[in-house]
Amino acid sequence: MTGFFNLRTNTTWVLTLASLKMWYRDRQAIFWTFFLPLVLMVIFGVLNFGDFGAVDLGVVDHARNSASRSLVSSLEDAEAVDLFHQSGTGDAGIGILEREQLALEDGERDLVVVIPPNFGETGGPVIVDVLFDVSQAREAQIGQTVIRQILDEMTFASNNVPNRFGITARPVFNRDLRFIDFLMPGLVAMSIMQMGLFSVAFSFVQLKNRGILRRLLATPVHPASFLFGQVVTRLSVSILQTLVLIAIAVFLFDVKIAGNMASILLLALIGGGVFVSLGFAISGWARNEEVAAPIANVIALPMMFLSGVFFPRTAMPDVLVSITDFLPLTYLIDALRNVAIDGEALWSQGWSILGLGVWLIITVVVSVRLFKWE
Amino acid sequence: MAQVNPSAPGGEIIVEAADLCKTYGGIRAVDGVSFTIERGEVFGILGPNGAGKTSTVEILEGMRLPDSGTARISGIDVVENPRAVKSIIGIQLQSTTFFDRLSLSEILQVFASIYHRLVDPLELLAQVELQDRAKSVFKDLSGGQKQRFSVATTLVNDPLVLFLDEPTTGLDPQARRHMWDLIKEFKSQGRTVLLTTHYMEEAEELCDRVAIMDQGRIVALNSPDELISELLSGGFHKERAEKAANLEDVFLELTGHALRDA
Repeated sequence: MTGFFNLRTNTTWVLTLASLKMWYRDRQAIFWTFFLPLVLMVIFGVLNFGDFGAVDLGVVDHARNSASRSLVSSLEDAEAVDLFHQSGTGDAGIGILEREQLALEDGERDLVVVIPPNFGETGGPVIVDVLFDVSQAREAQIGQTVIRQILDEMTFASNNVPNRFGITARPVFNRDLRFIDFLMPGLVAMSIMQMGLFSVAFSFVQLKNRGILRRLLATPVHPASFLFGQVVTRLSVSILQTLVLIAIAVFLFDVKIAGNMASILLLALIGGGVFVSLGFAISGWARNEEVAAPIANVIALPMMFLSGVFFPRTAMPDVLVSITDFLPLTYLIDALRNVAIDGEALWSQGWSILGLGVWLIITVVVSVRLFKWE
Repeated sequence: MAQVNPSAPGGEIIVEAADLCKTYGGIRAVDGVSFTIERGEVFGILGPNGAGKTSTVEILEGMRLPDSGTARISGIDVVENPRAVKSIIGIQLQSTTFFDRLSLSEILQVFASIYHRLVDPLELLAQVELQDRAKSVFKDLSGGQKQRFSVATTLVNDPLVLFLDEPTTGLDPQARRHMWDLIKEFKSQGRTVLLTTHYMEEAEELCDRVAIMDQGRIVALNSPDELISELLSGGFHKERAEKAANLEDVFLELTGHALRDA
């Protein structure tokens, strides 16, 4: 017995070191952990997929009369425009304006049209406000053209005095939020999820299947010592992933990290914890790799597409949005995005952190119940 | 082959099994097994597949709980304190693998750390003649080398009792002879060894005493010589007189005793 404080004979320390070594020597794991998210970032970043597609237009209707309804329905019919029409809430658009403005700031709208209360009335000039995202110049341009066309048509149709409508175009924010800024936190969260689910599920099913866990069971090792090393390894990797992806985003794509780095890494740790224990749950349940792979995929793939990694969840039907609100990846992505890109404080993400905490408890309980040594 | 006393060995008793029972799905895999092993003995458990050898050994190792009965290693109750038992014994499992991406040296260091010990991996590897493979990974070893390495991992805590479950199954004659030499070496070091095997000549060669198991029970327990004498005194005659050599002797004479996997 050489004592607990000699690191070379400290079981937990040696097992952790061994686990880190094994991970570091696993080329395939490194590939999936770093290379794949990097490739995705480069592809999406260079092609800038986010700029494709229709113009996202929000409408705030302060008039709520037949004229304004006809304008809205014309906008709905316009092919170049995707209309987000927040109907049925509140009186005369109050509050809705703020929400639309917020959506604009978050990059979920390219333009917001504000229809004034006197729209459609005769006399006095009618000024339609168009708020637009300056960073989306092309969309703002297309959107304004469409609106002007529709207003002109309405003028002609009513056989009234030309130029009855005026447009005031107002740039709303000049924070240069591009698709890559939106994408980066999503990719960080996604790679943490993939690492946790796949690397843990696969390596543990292997350890179990090949009898390595059983061989450890033939020693007096405390299971916690062994599991601790494995978890520490995976959580270190999730921190490393976050740092590498952010570094690439900052240096290659000029992404500006508005938030506090410690908060970002803390979120990565919490998220890593959730997905690592989910991975343990899978490895406890699955008999072999052939079973573990489809289960991990069934969990990971839908989340990849429903939790807003590649596009805002607001583009999905409302029902789907409210369901996907509760996915662990959604909580992680939302919190990461708000902190890293929008520069919000960690404490303002209490809801997402609570969500992740609940998931952490659920997954730990499930994995403890399902875990088997052989 | 000195031991002739089946039930009450004269020396210090180190392994004690008393009336062990274990049932799996209605089948009595271990059905009232009792025996003792004294310090320094090589004790063999023989029997056909499914006789309950492995289950018995696993109960003694603290890997499996008996339904009833008691087992003690060096006076420590296996059921009450399996971790204390595991820390003074070495267990070689029937088929096992080790971590993929660690070298043999590193694996030995990991195992030693479990017992809070520092070992010289090269010295341990030299004991099983694997010192040249210190930097190799387990999966690149041959069958005999794997088995020898597996034995080396059981030595990291300088165990009082070594449990070897079918240590020579699947090995070629040279590798098997080599494993025999290793087990004899353990005996000369004063270690106690409990091994299971399917090979009678192996038991005859190595074991001071053997227990023959069938259907969960011990049907005979004595030294190999005594068991043979008992059989002969009962009037048994072999159809064909034993030759002074067998085919394995021919094989080894032709191919040599040197290990082929080094």
